[in-house]
Amino acid sequence: MKFIVSSSALLKQLQQISGVINANTVLPILEDFLFEIEKNKLTVVATDLETVMRVQMDVEANENGRVCIPAKILIDSLKNIPDQPLSFNIDKNFAVELTSDNGKYKVMGENPDNFPKEPVADDTTSFTIISSALVTGINKTLFAVSTDDLRPAMTGVYFELDEKYIQFVSTDAHRLVRYKRTDVACPRKDAFIVPKKPLNILKSALPLNSDELTISYNSNHLFVKHGSTQMSCRLIDARFPDYKVVIPADNPYKLTVNRSDFQSALRRISVFSNKSTNQVVLNIQGSELNLAAQDVDFSFEGNERMKCQYDGEDLAIAFNARFLIEMLNAADSGEINVELSTATKAGILKPVEVDENEELLMLVMPLMLNN
Amino acid sequence: MESNPHKYPRKIIHIDMDAFYASIEQRDNPEYRGKPIVVGGSPEGRGGVVATASYEARKFGIKSAMPSKKALQLCPHVLFIRPRFDAYKEASQKIRAIFHRYTDLIEPLSLDEAFLDVTEDKLQIGSAIDIARQIKQAIKDELNLTASAGISVNKFVAKIASDIDKPDGLTFIGPSRIEQFMQELPVEKFFGVGRVTADKMRKMGLHTGADLKKLSQDELTRHFGKAGRFFFNIVRGIDNREVQPHRETKSIGAEDTFAYDLTEPEEMFAALERIALILFDRLQRHNMYGRTVTVKIKYHDFKLRTRSQSFPATVTDIVMITETAKQLLVATGTEDKKIRLLGITVSNFGEVPVKQEKEDASGQLKLF
Repeated sequence: MKFIVSSSALLKQLQQISGVINANTVLPILEDFLFEIEKNKLTVVATDLETVMRVQMDVEANENGRVCIPAKILIDSLKNIPDQPLSFNIDKNFAVELTSDNGKYKVMGENPDNFPKEPVADDTTSFTIISSALVTGINKTLFAVSTDDLRPAMTGVYFELDEKYIQFVSTDAHRLVRYKRTDVACPRKDAFIVPKKPLNILKSALPLNSDELTISYNSNHLFVKHGSTQMSCRLIDARFPDYKVVIPADNPYKLTVNRSDFQSALRRISVFSNKSTNQVVLNIQGSELNLAAQDVDFSFEGNERMKCQYDGEDLAIAFNARFLIEMLNAADSGEINVELSTATKAGILKPVEVDENEELLMLVMPLMLNN
Repeated sequence: MESNPHKYPRKIIHIDMDAFYASIEQRDNPEYRGKPIVVGGSPEGRGGVVATASYEARKFGIKSAMPSKKALQLCPHVLFIRPRFDAYKEASQKIRAIFHRYTDLIEPLSLDEAFLDVTEDKLQIGSAIDIARQIKQAIKDELNLTASAGISVNKFVAKIASDIDKPDGLTFIGPSRIEQFMQELPVEKFFGVGRVTADKMRKMGLHTGADLKKLSQDELTRHFGKAGRFFFNIVRGIDNREVQPHRETKSIGAEDTFAYDLTEPEEMFAALERIALILFDRLQRHNMYGRTVTVKIKYHDFKLRTRSQSFPATVTDIVMITETAKQLLVATGTEDKKIRLLGITVSNFGEVPVKQEKEDASGQLKLF
């Protein structure tokens, strides 16, 4: 088998899917890309058994065929080869020979029959979504996903589908983010949990534009299609916690602050906080917000004061500064509302300005104040 | 589970008492000896179940967890005996004391079953077979009860071995025999293979360990998810799970019998909420959280039903327990039902994530 392809175009495609491949895998073949040529179309597949991603591009080929090529060495070499047509020669024993203007390179491929089969997309339900909606949904929720393998349901983003909207929900038990899009219509009410890794790959592979994606799912797998690029992944087989019950219906006090000022203050203050808790105490009185952090062990202390709008009783409440900073990042709005009740109840963050077809709600549990 | 941290093969003994409750009753009550007896609920009205059947009763096909009524049908002259748990616990403690003469690495699975790691035994006997023999003898001499022992290099094989030659058996499956033994083992005997997985395997033409062994790890993972890797290892006789002491409690539950039969779903839900509160308090006191929530329902005619749901991770919040219990109850149908008793049990305990405890200590409050 022989084909000719542009080195930079191939590299671009391979980099989109190389994130799927784990560095230290049990099966050596999982360190390979599967190359498939059919009628001058090259399809490249990467898999870690949980996530499978395939890209397609045009090549010049004299015949159809398949081969597995070690991913790392191929990408490393493509990165260093100046843009040019590159010819691939594969012999019967799956030895791969690359020929460029600079020279010849050889690598041993593997029998493509040993490459894991992709999950079959049978019995699926499908809908379309614009790429930016999915990417934004991932960006706004992925950071709050739990890393605790003992609670697998929370190690992914919960997709909640409805005829009128789609919701992306994530939580690590201490905080929760829910992002809703009302410009997406799903075929029916349904829900599934998508693991972190494929979402990370999707968010970097998909464009932040209005390209149409097709999402299909069945009880075990999710399939996302963008043009000739396709990804499938195993869904997390677990029950997402009943998060709705933990969202306070009515937090009576409302704090409104400038988002970037608040975030900068938290960043400065948190340097002086205890590194294990990142505790920052918010002391709110009238229109003044005091931020305080300290680390008793090292005698560190930081205090700041900023203006705010506040409607409620005077309140001292402590949060993990990192949680707040990450949440403020996800809320791209000039001002942010923080709805509070008592020092031991969840606070709710909402951006003041949002697009009409979006809704963002973020929930964070406080740290106990010891006095 | 991936890598064996042990430099040399371990020596694991699984001790399983023979018809434990029934044997104790026969020991303490000479009139029961040689007779088919059932320890458990009485068949009259009260919807009792068989906890243990004596070997004489087993000949009639009576099994554990069978409704007592059915047991009576199978053997009309079977004797029903109310359980005396204090006596069983006492015996269990004495047996455990015997184990402790040989090793402190004891993982009790219940009152009548335990794993022992005797790789390094306290008396430096060296031979696991001799130790098992001595333990069995001590149990016979000191408690006048019999036990069956399985000996191998890991927990899985040891447990299966103890079941091979019951009662009063002693089976050793050494490293050289493990692979062949695993090949012949029917799939439903594999740890973690319940009815559903067994059905799935049978549909795929997988009936024994040998069939499973033909599949690559990659294929097993594709069909059975993460359990696939466990199966892949186990059919090759690889099971590096440690014997874990201090895991005595198997389940924690709470239940309530009502003064009048409940007929309205709202009343039932309210009752479940009350019971969940009591249960949750107990879970917290034990600091134990399980993956399986079981609902027990007794109807006005004393028919008993249980329904359970397992989660991949331990359930640590009361809302989840309550909601699961309600869903399980609804799944049994609540229409035209008169309910006399409701109970919730949590089992399948795992360790509470250490991380969570730390975070609690740091004062971070949790949503779930």
